[in-house]
Amino acid sequence: MTVAILLVLAVASEVVCVVGVIAGATVYDRLHYSGATTAVAPFLVFAAVVVEEGTAGPSWNAGFVAVALFVLNAALSHATARVARQRQRGDVKL
Amino acid sequence: MNEWLWAATALLALLVPLGGVALVAPRLDALVAVEAAGSVLTLALVCLAQGFERSAYTVLGLVAAALTFAGGLVFLRFFERELDP
Repeated sequence: MTVAILLVLAVASEVVCVVGVIAGATVYDRLHYSGATTAVAPFLVFAAVVVEEGTAGPSWNAGFVAVALFVLNAALSHATARVARQRQRGDVKL
Repeated sequence: MNEWLWAATALLALLVPLGGVALVAPRLDALVAVEAAGSVLTLALVCLAQGFERSAYTVLGLVAAALTFAGGLVFLRFFERELDP
């Protein structure tokens, strides 16, 4: 039951983020929600895996996935925002 | 169908609207949608591995996370100057 609740929360958070990406007015709005896809849901999935598997290998893999998504997507969102700013205003050195 | 497969199915369904955004939005907005789709797909892979009880395949999620990042950087490199809005 706990696993199901965690997964429902993870999917719900991703749905909110996807709606934000669809409805975003500017590229920065969309980036905000795109970044959020890796902020909550991966850790909820990680928690669900830990609940089901304990401290076995899959839990470590899911943990690495959550941390990798969180860190790498933050860097990618930052780089994307810099390119967007450069293309719109030209005041950022790339 | 267990809860993992339901979650994976829901996550995979989210790729459809993101694909629509990637098709119709301006190019940089489309790239943002692709980046979001990569994150959603990574989570779907983890859920599929758990759902099919092939937990060793959760490594696929790690590979997908790394490749999504690398692919995004490649697109950004071209967006810096070469491609029009």
